[in-house]
Amino acid sequence: MAPIVSLARAAGPTRAGFEQGAITEAVHRALDLAGYSPQSPPQTVAIKPNLRFYWDHSTGETTDPRVVGAVIDYVRGRWNPEARISVVETDASSMRTRYAYPILGYDRLAAEKDVELVNLSEGEMLETQTRVNGRTVSLPLPHSLLNADLFVSCPKLKVGPFAGGNALHITCTLKNLYGCIGKRRKVVYHPRVNEVIVAVNKHLRPHVHVVDGIVALGSRPVRLGLIIAGTDAVAVDSVAARVMGYNPGAVKQITLAEREGVGTRRGLVITGEDVRALAREFPKRSQLMFKLTWNLQLKMLRAYAGLTGDAVPPALD
Amino acid sequence: MMRIGLLGFGKMGRMRLKAARFLRGATVTAVADSSKRALEAARRQGVPHVYADYHDLLASPAVDAVIITVPNAMHEEAITAAALAGKHIFVEKPLARSSDECLRIADAVDRAEVAAMVGHNYRYFPPVKRLKRDLDSGALGDIVLSTLEIVDGPLAPALESRPIPDWYMDPGDRGPWLLDLGYHVIDLFLWFFGDARVLHAYLDRRYGFAHEDNASILLESGAGAKGTIHVGWFSKLIFPSFDFRVILHGTAGFASTDQYTPASLKLHAAIEGAKNALRRTTGRRIHPLSYTFYYGSYVEELQQFVNSVRSGTQPPTTIKDGWETVRIIEEIYGSAARSPALTNVVSTAAGESLRKAEGIR
Repeated sequence: MAPIVSLARAAGPTRAGFEQGAITEAVHRALDLAGYSPQSPPQTVAIKPNLRFYWDHSTGETTDPRVVGAVIDYVRGRWNPEARISVVETDASSMRTRYAYPILGYDRLAAEKDVELVNLSEGEMLETQTRVNGRTVSLPLPHSLLNADLFVSCPKLKVGPFAGGNALHITCTLKNLYGCIGKRRKVVYHPRVNEVIVAVNKHLRPHVHVVDGIVALGSRPVRLGLIIAGTDAVAVDSVAARVMGYNPGAVKQITLAEREGVGTRRGLVITGEDVRALAREFPKRSQLMFKLTWNLQLKMLRAYAGLTGDAVPPALD
Repeated sequence: MMRIGLLGFGKMGRMRLKAARFLRGATVTAVADSSKRALEAARRQGVPHVYADYHDLLASPAVDAVIITVPNAMHEEAITAAALAGKHIFVEKPLARSSDECLRIADAVDRAEVAAMVGHNYRYFPPVKRLKRDLDSGALGDIVLSTLEIVDGPLAPALESRPIPDWYMDPGDRGPWLLDLGYHVIDLFLWFFGDARVLHAYLDRRYGFAHEDNASILLESGAGAKGTIHVGWFSKLIFPSFDFRVILHGTAGFASTDQYTPASLKLHAAIEGAKNALRRTTGRRIHPLSYTFYYGSYVEELQQFVNSVRSGTQPPTTIKDGWETVRIIEEIYGSAARSPALTNVVSTAAGESLRKAEGIR
């Protein structure tokens, strides 16, 4: 079946940014347009936002808890008012979930919506082995996610990160699942980041994806007020890439995921907002300039320190 | 040659070791840290003696002075032990978490008759030094209004995000939040104007930390100079961006650190780097870390400490300076707690810190 990806924009923003009502309306409209409906009312629901360090949604780095709140309302309103809903995340190299949830407003969300906040790093892990690109990828993945009746991925619409020089074009729903890996020091996966992303996505298959582009991140944060929804990770990321000004066919994680059967772009149907108009608003981030500005500067700095004997501050080590 | 031991080899310990490499008349010969990885890192950086327990370092007769960069909660204990061992002391700011701790530290240092200096490195930033010169020369007249701002902290982790130590996130271990960045700008106000009282303080938070993450404070010196202070932990800055400035408005003129900060820090780095390369090739001493604009302050400050110990003179920032800054911070928390307009803030945002401040009082 041809994948459908929907785009909806929140009304506003006002001077104070986007309001909860406008965000909720956009999320619900995007989900309606995406046309997903579970076969039976889900009893257990897991929602995976993208929490990046302790930077909140206004920086474009982290999923807005109001978007997750709107998804919770949709699940309860349309599919099962009694569903047991968990927001899930793992610890990362530099981020501890026990700090991230309260700092980023997820504690408040959990209290308001009566949902559970789960640190997947503390749960039972399944050691998985997956063939990707002809190589085996071994990963610990949370057992609980495999058993959820409904799994929703709520990534952020953003460019980067530029993991250890293994630059990604975009970070969206395929990359969001990288955050489900049970290992805290995920930097060890950076040298094979695309293969690892695809391996996770071959195991964990969200039923629906709701992308937070309320504040998106390119060369700078931008108030797009955009929500993208769909059921096919490859299709959703393809549309997200186009919104951010990239050719999806040139984004390795998308092409590799498609080749490995995670999803498809074939016959893609886009509903709602005009992708080209959105792409004109998005502040595209140049990967080449990033590499030039940071990598070249760091190389020059190390050469300078070697020549003069001067120090490099720990911040730049 | 003065032999220095470094107590604590975390973020600031590593910075101090890098700075100490350029000291004249002193060298770091030992490092103590409870972490094996930290000690291995110290060894790799050429430190000959490493200790898992800092008491063993203090017992070594081959150490004349110490740089203390352990977590705040350990300052009193480490300073007291170093003083008892007869070592001269340089301690990273804040001096301590409370006036009570400062009092006991001052007593221990006085009894031991060792030199003690508190690290207030913002005084050595090039634009701050130039502002102080303007002020002291009388070129600005009498200062009536001033603004001191800093927004930085753990959400601005330079190149990439790094783990934040648990103690740094815990108000119990770290002490009141203003001891972090607020300490620097309050110290500058005291350094510029001599004394301060708190007219008003508003403590608030945007993020869900266990404490406030932004503050607006109004100080007044005995001579009537007012200072509006803004402190924040909420920004995701990327190096070399640095959201810090001081503005002085006087009866004869005004001056700002922004005037004395290069418009482009990258261009500044290129020029200073080229100058150092020339110095090196012509056999002269380089100006360490001058290309970073701010980090050179660590070298200059430590050199002042070494010079003071070697000459037997009083260090430029004393225990009394550190204590006074802590006292003002306690007064700020007290002021915020007393203000009826801030009831909601007291009960939510600043509650943890205020309860702590009340405990101190």
